[in-house]
Amino acid sequence: MDDQAGRDEFDSPAEVDAVFRTQRRIAIGYFVVFVGGMLLIPLATLASEWWEGRLSDWATGFVVAGAGLYVFFFVLGLGAASLANGVEQRMLGTPTDDADDPVR
Amino acid sequence: MSRSAWLLAAVVAALWAVLYVATQIALSPPLRTEVLVITGVAATTALILGFPSTLRGPREPLAPPRRGRLLRMSRAGPDERSTSVAVFGRELPLRSGLTSEAAERTVRLLRPVLAGDSVAITDTESVLAFVGPGSGHHRSGHRVTTAATYTVLSSGRTKVLRTRADLGCSEPECPLHTAVVAPLRVGDRVVGTLKVYRVDETPPARQPVQDLASILSLHLELAEADRERQLAADARLNALRAQINPHFLFNTLNTIASKARTDPEDARRLLLRLSDFFRYSIRQDGQFADFAQEYFFVRTYVALEQARYGDSLDVRYDVDPQVLSAQVPVLTIQPLVENAVKHGLAEKVGGGTVHLKARVDPLSRTTLIQVRDDGVGMDDELLNKVLSGAAPSGGIGLRNINQRLENLFGERYSMHVRSGDDKGTTVDLRLPLR
Repeated sequence: MDDQAGRDEFDSPAEVDAVFRTQRRIAIGYFVVFVGGMLLIPLATLASEWWEGRLSDWATGFVVAGAGLYVFFFVLGLGAASLANGVEQRMLGTPTDDADDPVR
Repeated sequence: MSRSAWLLAAVVAALWAVLYVATQIALSPPLRTEVLVITGVAATTALILGFPSTLRGPREPLAPPRRGRLLRMSRAGPDERSTSVAVFGRELPLRSGLTSEAAERTVRLLRPVLAGDSVAITDTESVLAFVGPGSGHHRSGHRVTTAATYTVLSSGRTKVLRTRADLGCSEPECPLHTAVVAPLRVGDRVVGTLKVYRVDETPPARQPVQDLASILSLHLELAEADRERQLAADARLNALRAQINPHFLFNTLNTIASKARTDPEDARRLLLRLSDFFRYSIRQDGQFADFAQEYFFVRTYVALEQARYGDSLDVRYDVDPQVLSAQVPVLTIQPLVENAVKHGLAEKVGGGTVHLKARVDPLSRTTLIQVRDDGVGMDDELLNKVLSGAAPSGGIGLRNINQRLENLFGERYSMHVRSGDDKGTTVDLRLPLR
């Protein structure tokens, strides 16, 4: 790939392998969070009487299925994608913070 | 499992026990089981998220309130003198050196402590701070005008000035009549004076002024020691930069030269890597850098060595995402990897693998870095020599790194080296998370 300075980048197999491992770690971590979030739903239904009517006049299950889950998925996806992009940027190629360095 | 993890497990268990007793035994009739479960899960989650912060200890932002307390103490009356002296001893106003700002804070703190109307601190040439009557013409930044001050600076002895003539102030309207001038020393050198003035005919007591001048001198010596320690740390870092082995440069250039004919594109890539390598090693001016930057430096080094050693040098990186933004001391990891390549694998027939593993332990707020190779290793005798710096060729920077870490972290880091004949070498670093 080409960086901003027009310099071609080359990453060794070991570097790409390292990013793969880290990305796998991130994916597993976020999957655990996802599973934890999903398990909270049946747990919360244990106190469904308490929840009923507190969020709105709508049924608690309807609110969770109609909006709550989507918000949860969005936040989770955004977090995972941001972290994965940041990791790839920091672990591959050349840091670009000195692109305006006259020496280069 | 680390000690902090056991501690967390114990605290969580205790929390559930307390909740159980509170909701199921103490109350009659007991609350529903769901209440216990939901409350317990919420409290456990909060505890796990907050636990690392608890272990981290007091935060640095606590500093401003301490400064506020210092200013309040400076306005305290004579009845609070002993407390002020104690606070003064703890706050170490001149700990940062003999500067105008530190002198200003010191004289404001000292004025209510000493039985004087005005207090001043000078260096060998000018007045750094003056507070009290006479400050209209004895101004900070002006040259020292009194002959008595120069006498104290040259003799190094405390002087009691009992008349206006002894003071030698050229201002006819100067309200100051008597004074005690005590020298401030760093070692054998007199670097300034502490002056306490009074507007009446009775000079201030000599002994308290002399004692406080001694305390200030001690602070200045500590500041000097700090500065020297910082210079030593910088010198070690520069020595490490200078130690970048010229043989490495020759070998890399030879490798590039040999590839220039057969694979010009690869030769170009290597030249760019070499440029990156030296650029990084000379441009790091601080003591710390992001782990991601150090990782880049290691990758650059390894790419150059792999061009030389080919398939006989294998490297495996295992990096936690959290560790990438952690601050680590510069030029610490690459020398460890270089040692593994140069002393571990280069002498092994068939080559081997270097493992670089980096983790963050959020519970104990530490960064764990491990560099491991499956090379020729060392016996105990050689290992001891390398660690003590007595080995003639081994351990580029191992002792240097250890000393730098000691300067930076004191007792809060650990560096363990394990090795055995033909069993490879493992270096484990545990650094406080920054």
